[in-house]
Amino acid sequence: MTTLALGTRRARPLISARTRKLLIGYCYLMPAALCMLATVVVPIGMAIKMSLYNDILYKPQDYRFIGLGNYFRLAADPVFWLSLWNSCVWVFGSVALQFVFGFAAALLLNQAFRGRALVRTLTLLPWIIPGVVVGLIWEWLYQPNYGVINDLLIKAGWLHDRIAWLSTPDLAMAAVVFTNVWRGIPFFTIMLLAGLQAVPAELYEAAHVDGASVFGRFRHITLPLLRPIIVVATATRIIWTFNYADLIFVMTNGGPANATQITSTYTLLQAYSNLDFGYAGALSVVLLLVMLVFTAAYLRITRGVEEIA
Amino acid sequence: MDERWLLSRRKFLHTLAGSGVIAAGDLAWWEAPLLAPRKAFAAEPVRFQFSVPEPTRITLVTSLVQRFNQSQKDFEVKVEFVPQAQARQKLISAVSAGSPPDVCQIWDNWIGQFQGMGAVEDLTSRVKSWKHRDDVQDTAWQTVSAGNAIVSMPLALTLDGIFYRTDRLRELGLKEPTPDWTWDDFLRIAQAFTKASENRYGYGMRGAGTWSVLYPSEFAYANGAAVLKDGKLAINSKEAVDALSWYLDLALKHKVTPPSAATDGFVEIVETFGRGITSMYQHNSGSVGQQKKNVGAANFATVPLPVGPAKKRASFYFSETLTMFKAGRNKEGAWQFVSFMLDDEQSLMYNKTLGLLPPRKSIISKPDFADDPALRGFIASFPFAIVSPYLAYPGWGGRIDSDGVPLIQQAILGKISPQECLDRFAAVLKQEMT
Repeated sequence: MTTLALGTRRARPLISARTRKLLIGYCYLMPAALCMLATVVVPIGMAIKMSLYNDILYKPQDYRFIGLGNYFRLAADPVFWLSLWNSCVWVFGSVALQFVFGFAAALLLNQAFRGRALVRTLTLLPWIIPGVVVGLIWEWLYQPNYGVINDLLIKAGWLHDRIAWLSTPDLAMAAVVFTNVWRGIPFFTIMLLAGLQAVPAELYEAAHVDGASVFGRFRHITLPLLRPIIVVATATRIIWTFNYADLIFVMTNGGPANATQITSTYTLLQAYSNLDFGYAGALSVVLLLVMLVFTAAYLRITRGVEEIA
Repeated sequence: MDERWLLSRRKFLHTLAGSGVIAAGDLAWWEAPLLAPRKAFAAEPVRFQFSVPEPTRITLVTSLVQRFNQSQKDFEVKVEFVPQAQARQKLISAVSAGSPPDVCQIWDNWIGQFQGMGAVEDLTSRVKSWKHRDDVQDTAWQTVSAGNAIVSMPLALTLDGIFYRTDRLRELGLKEPTPDWTWDDFLRIAQAFTKASENRYGYGMRGAGTWSVLYPSEFAYANGAAVLKDGKLAINSKEAVDALSWYLDLALKHKVTPPSAATDGFVEIVETFGRGITSMYQHNSGSVGQQKKNVGAANFATVPLPVGPAKKRASFYFSETLTMFKAGRNKEGAWQFVSFMLDDEQSLMYNKTLGLLPPRKSIISKPDFADDPALRGFIASFPFAIVSPYLAYPGWGGRIDSDGVPLIQQAILGKISPQECLDRFAAVLKQEMT
């Protein structure tokens, strides 16, 4: 008698293929996620916790939970509001001018001319120099008594009396913004130049054949195609500049009379001069919130990057 | 058992002889420790943080640390140079993280905060048996004491005085200021020095950093004012306001200061004097060495601060200290190093090289200090030197930087009156007195 062996039913896997695929994906993400957790999420959590305590290092006996006490204090602190306003001037003044001049430089460097490679390399120099060194260089350039800027202006006959660029409240912010613009132009130049080189030449040729003017080609081809880069570059730069305290710290230390005090230098001052880590924590949290709100609004207004892509 | 692991008599003797040779060599090495670098395999490390305001100190301190490491075998000091601007921040982070250096060079106006944090090692019992204890000036001990406890060791002292250009005075046909000169003399000389059209100014006023607040405070004492009177804050008294008014008028009314005064810090006041832009400035002896290079030893001198209308004056006394921490891991090594640094030769070398004043009486009386015209003004200031009144409360040091400096800058710029400046500063300091 012949027996017929029936095929045994394959056991159902413990984890479905879809779940397995998902799990593998998460496993790949895990190391990066853990790093982010340890270096970003945990410190933010600790800063938030710190901001809810009276945490003055030289008064350990007064360490206690005070809820939103530091935030109420902050709301009544005129220097905080001044520093927030100064931060806005510092950030938007710097980034807007960096963008305009960086874009102009990128358009120029996108043209063919002799020595272009050398000029492109030289353009990067301000970006390569560390921020602290840039601050020191410009502090000396601005020095009213023996700085080069005043000397040149006087020799050219454009200036009669020496100007104390960094010591005059009305000029100090403009002077540090100018330095930051000088330093940040190469960032936009390189980013936008990379974008310009990716724009197909055929588009310009077709537009040219159709009779589009230079401005028309710029407006309808260059700008729309560069938009993702512009959005990412400006958003990144705004966040960096908000947090960037080196230049002001070196050049004016927030002075004169808080004229260049931005929120990040004020936070540093509270933490390391007054050792008031609770208040400095509250300032950091507010700075974080301001940046989160701003970034969200900015990406919404510019319709983000993903949508464009 | 594997015979390879058994030690034959010959091998044993070889090993013994070899060890003997190494030990003898090592011993010989220790007998003449300064002849060559020391092998410090077993020496316990001592972490030493040193803040660097200018490069001369790196060479000097490296040399002193090497001397210490070669002079004994138990400890090896490893020095960590930190730029002065970051030194305090770095130290605070290290103390907060429970990992401070074993010993650190800091100014006495920081100690209050670290003492408040409970971080500083009490050295009272060690000092009691220290051989140079009675040789240190009493005022120096006051700068490093908290209550009855000695919490740090004074490495160098500073007093404020006035630097002035002797060659410019000769050019102008003016007499040199005498040690008992007055505010009027000061103003008269400052005005004579000032020629704004030639970018020359009489007085390099300091508008940035902690000392921008301390310098006018010293002038206030000359007008009979004080920061604290009978334990109460008196920083905004009439005498203090009048003194600040007079001081600010140097910039606002008489215009004998450079236009950058509101943000001029240590570097600027020293540089402008060195470049001939200013002809007087207020500072401690720490910039004497630099001015000897810049303007030449024959072209400048120092004089005590001028006597004020109240026929008084004061120069604030500060110490550069070596401070140990409770959480330090090698306290014995740190103490040995601190003692070494305060011994005759090291103390003389350190202070002489940097133009500072040694806290030990037997060293400051040496001709290196007593006969130097550039130091004359500071040594003559000892009789009326007082410990900085801003050391009274641990929170005041930070408040000077965060609140006092912006206020004095506003006053220098004429944005607020002297009265408002001092009233607001008094309110801030009062908060820290509780």
